Amino acid sequence: MADNTHVLDLLPAYALGSLDSSEADRVEEHLSSCLICRAESNSFQTAADQLSFAASDAAPSPDLKNRLMQRVQSARPQPPIPVQPSARSWLERLLPAWSLASSFLIIVLVGFNLLLWQRLNHLEVVTSPGKMRAVPLSASDPASRATGFVLISADGDSGALVVDGLPPLDESQQYQLWLIRDGQRTSGAIFSTDEKNYGGTRIRAPGSLLEYTAADITIEPKGGSPKPTGTKVLGGPLFNP
Amino acid sequence: MKLPKDYARYDDEKLISLIIQAQEGALAQLYDRYSRLIFSLALAIVNDRATAEEVTLDVFMRVWQKAASYRVDQAKVSTWLTHIARHHAIDVLRRRAVRPDQYTANWEEEVSNDELPEHDPQEFAELSFQRERVQAALAQLPADQKQALVLAYFSGYTQSEIADALKQPLGTIKTRLRLGMQKLRDFLSDERRREDKSVKAESAYNMTKEE
Repeated sequence: MADNTHVLDLLPAYALGSLDSSEADRVEEHLSSCLICRAESNSFQTAADQLSFAASDAAPSPDLKNRLMQRVQSARPQPPIPVQPSARSWLERLLPAWSLASSFLIIVLVGFNLLLWQRLNHLEVVTSPGKMRAVPLSASDPASRATGFVLISADGDSGALVVDGLPPLDESQQYQLWLIRDGQRTSGAIFSTDEKNYGGTRIRAPGSLLEYTAADITIEPKGGSPKPTGTKVLGGPLFNP
Repeated sequence: MKLPKDYARYDDEKLISLIIQAQEGALAQLYDRYSRLIFSLALAIVNDRATAEEVTLDVFMRVWQKAASYRVDQAKVSTWLTHIARHHAIDVLRRRAVRPDQYTANWEEEVSNDELPEHDPQEFAELSFQRERVQAALAQLPADQKQALVLAYFSGYTQSEIADALKQPLGTIKTRLRLGMQKLRDFLSDERRREDKSVKAESAYNMTKEE
């Protein structure tokens, strides 16, 4: 219950923040229900605020502004990698390693011959502690040098995609990964590639990734489409569940 | 080609809204306007230039990160900034468990404007004017009331701590703070009324001239 006794005598010290905590609590409780004291309190607060101008005028070092702007720069969040949200924490930790490993594999693939390609079409990469699959995707256009891998965790709950040889699109478009099951396509990722034609993203899908039999990548309007509408650039089988 | 924005033409509230949009130029402009005020206040509290600069940086970083928490209906931007600065500087003092000597709180009767600002001279003049008003108000107070106010505001002392520091009865300190604040408030409101009247008189005169 609010204290009905006016607290006018306490208001000057309250405005300065110099009441003991029990007195400050009492004032605050009273102010919540008393318009007279609240108006009085505001007038003292305005006066107390003016005391900041009583400080001796002093100028900070000229370089302080640069230091501030440097801090602002360093506090800025890094530009987001074009990835889908989600994924397991262990995968997040492994993702850079996956990407690196995949890049390496892709570079190797690009450098080697078709036979190696064909052999890698059935590649399964085994890593400790679980069994992780790396499934290659091939270019739809035989003239294209585009390559890609879908990496899927042993339990099928997490996945990542790396691609190489896919040129950056204009600002109005992005690549979209589709996961295929029973002829139905579900979006698994929307991503962009960099000036080196390289891209990587996490895959997110309803249910386990092990349930999908194939995947392909199309060019879609920025932000992705509910269903594929653009040119297919990469694709391939995932599993035979 | 896109020209850089002229942030100087924006008022404080607009700058805050641009800071919320992460426009660094808006923060830089707000810094130009208020860094001197914030630094002076911080220095008066912590009595050390390096620490006062750290406090100043923290204040503007907080603005950068928490600009969305500013409420225009609760305080002017300058008041919001000085609130943040004062509380942060007093926190720094408390963390160090050291406070400046009670008699050396860094405030003074005269405005020292020997260093001209690099930026907006008009804003500097306005700050100087406000300083003069407050200094004049404080000059009206008896020394013991002024001393109690300074310890409360710049050192963050509670009434009990002031009583201990000055070795005076608590009741005496309460009275000094109350009377000092009443006089300060009345003086500053009278000043404001006089300014308002003078502005109104000037506009009435100008309107008459135009007619």
